[in-house]
Amino acid sequence: MLLSAEKVAKHFGSFRAVAGADLAVEEGEIVGLIGPNGAGKSTFFNCIAGDTPPTSGRILFDGVDVTAAPAETHARLGIGRTFQVPATFADMTILDNVMVGAFLRHRQQGAARDRAFEVLELTGLKEQWRQRASSLGTPGRKRLEIARVLATGPRLMLLDEALAGLTPSEIQRAIELVRQIHALGVTLVIVEHIMEVILTLTRRVLVFNQGHVIASGRPQEVVEDPAVIEAYLGRGHARAARS
Amino acid sequence: MRRWGLLALAVALLAYPWLVAGTDSAAFLQDTGALVLLAAVGASAWNIVGGYAGQISVGHAIFFGAGAYLPLLVYQHWQWSPLFGVPLGVAVSLVIAVFIGFPTFRLVGHYFSMATIAVAELVRIIVGNWDFVGAAIGLQGPATARGWYDVIFRSSVPYYYIFLVALALVLLVTWRMQQSRLGYYLGAIRAGERAARSLGVPVRRYKLYALMLSAAFTSLAGSLYALKTGFIDPDSGLGILVSVQMIITAALGGAGTLFGPLLGAAILVPLQTATNTWLGGSGSGLTFIVYGGVIVFIARFEPGGLLEMWQRLRTARRGRRGEARHAA
Repeated sequence: MLLSAEKVAKHFGSFRAVAGADLAVEEGEIVGLIGPNGAGKSTFFNCIAGDTPPTSGRILFDGVDVTAAPAETHARLGIGRTFQVPATFADMTILDNVMVGAFLRHRQQGAARDRAFEVLELTGLKEQWRQRASSLGTPGRKRLEIARVLATGPRLMLLDEALAGLTPSEIQRAIELVRQIHALGVTLVIVEHIMEVILTLTRRVLVFNQGHVIASGRPQEVVEDPAVIEAYLGRGHARAARS
Repeated sequence: MRRWGLLALAVALLAYPWLVAGTDSAAFLQDTGALVLLAAVGASAWNIVGGYAGQISVGHAIFFGAGAYLPLLVYQHWQWSPLFGVPLGVAVSLVIAVFIGFPTFRLVGHYFSMATIAVAELVRIIVGNWDFVGAAIGLQGPATARGWYDVIFRSSVPYYYIFLVALALVLLVTWRMQQSRLGYYLGAIRAGERAARSLGVPVRRYKLYALMLSAAFTSLAGSLYALKTGFIDPDSGLGILVSVQMIITAALGGAGTLFGPLLGAAILVPLQTATNTWLGGSGSGLTFIVYGGVIVFIARFEPGGLLEMWQRLRTARRGRRGEARHAA
């Protein structure tokens, strides 16, 4: 088991954003997290990434307890993440953005630069390496974020809506990129709204609603689960779907 | 091209006292040159944490003050050479940096700046009431040189070259830092702490490294100031104006750039001396007005500083030239 989150809960005051969720990910898997807006996916995600420690529960990564560890420790252990709203370093060049990630495993500037160029090649950003990150549009920034994380040499990558807001052709390219990353041996957990992405990329999904995992399994089956339909569309639709 | 520019700058700085030696106001121009370099050392030191790491400290007077007080303190109490106080000032500054850094780096943005002001003012008030360090009256260095080790010169020229060496040192260290992991990590921290952390940057530890490096050189600037003037009191060593001057000098030229602070100093210091002589200003009130004007100018027109403006103009011109070539 590469990642296991047990009974993870996160409360903000009296509001339970995540009310005891479990997730177990095997090495080499691609797991999807879906659910309506405000279901607690991103909060759960931030707990796993070490951004905010959970209120209760336990998170193990490769046997190491990382429940209360800060984000930088997660990165060092091999958990990489992207942000829902891309958080690229706007004033830095694309190369420098990626080099920040590369410095995690390469102390010397030359080695970090070599590693960064490898990643830029893979992610198709190599031609633009001199440009500032602020010159990129949303798809470019999402790509750059993925490149930056990849440069840290992660074993597990958490993609938070990395494909949202892209055009259909951009989505195809992004799916291709995710496949390539997976082929490198990186395990992936993706939060995604676009069903097409989930159906093509994942073998297993977890559905969140109001802080709980309400369903899990193969994506084709999960989308037909009445509880899931109800969560997305309301009660009437669930009955209609059943009949 | 870049290398030639650097060489020209080095030659100009080395030759400056000699170039102005023939003019009527040689002594004045040489002294102003020394002050420009001193301001550049201080602003470059501040630039490491304030510019590169983006942590706007308004409390750097503490480090400047430590550097300024210790040389005169060891002279006053034990008649040592003020030079012994220089490394002591650096050591004290490093200890203070760690003590200040740990609690204040929990704060972000303006809150950090405000905390540094508070600590600096606290230190100024304590020193102003502490007899061992001269209280409100301050400390004085040796009146006449007992030997070379008292670092007292009639002319400004020796100071000019001492300051130039110090400036070269701080710029060399900054340049090396820019090329290293430390430099990249500080840039990431400035651009976004949350993202930096997610890439494995230990944010607080690196901020502390930056502050310690910055504090050591700021202390050096303070020591150089004390060696030259031979006098220090709570206002000139620890006043908020000391910190503000470093910030404005760096920001005017370009915070987070290697030569920005030097450019800022080359503009601001002569401007200051000019306003003081023309308007017969004995009061520091006028200096405040000049600073205010500069702040408004930077904030309104050029938040990146003059160096960035220069770079933008140059790329624009190059772009136009490129188009012209295409058309031909």
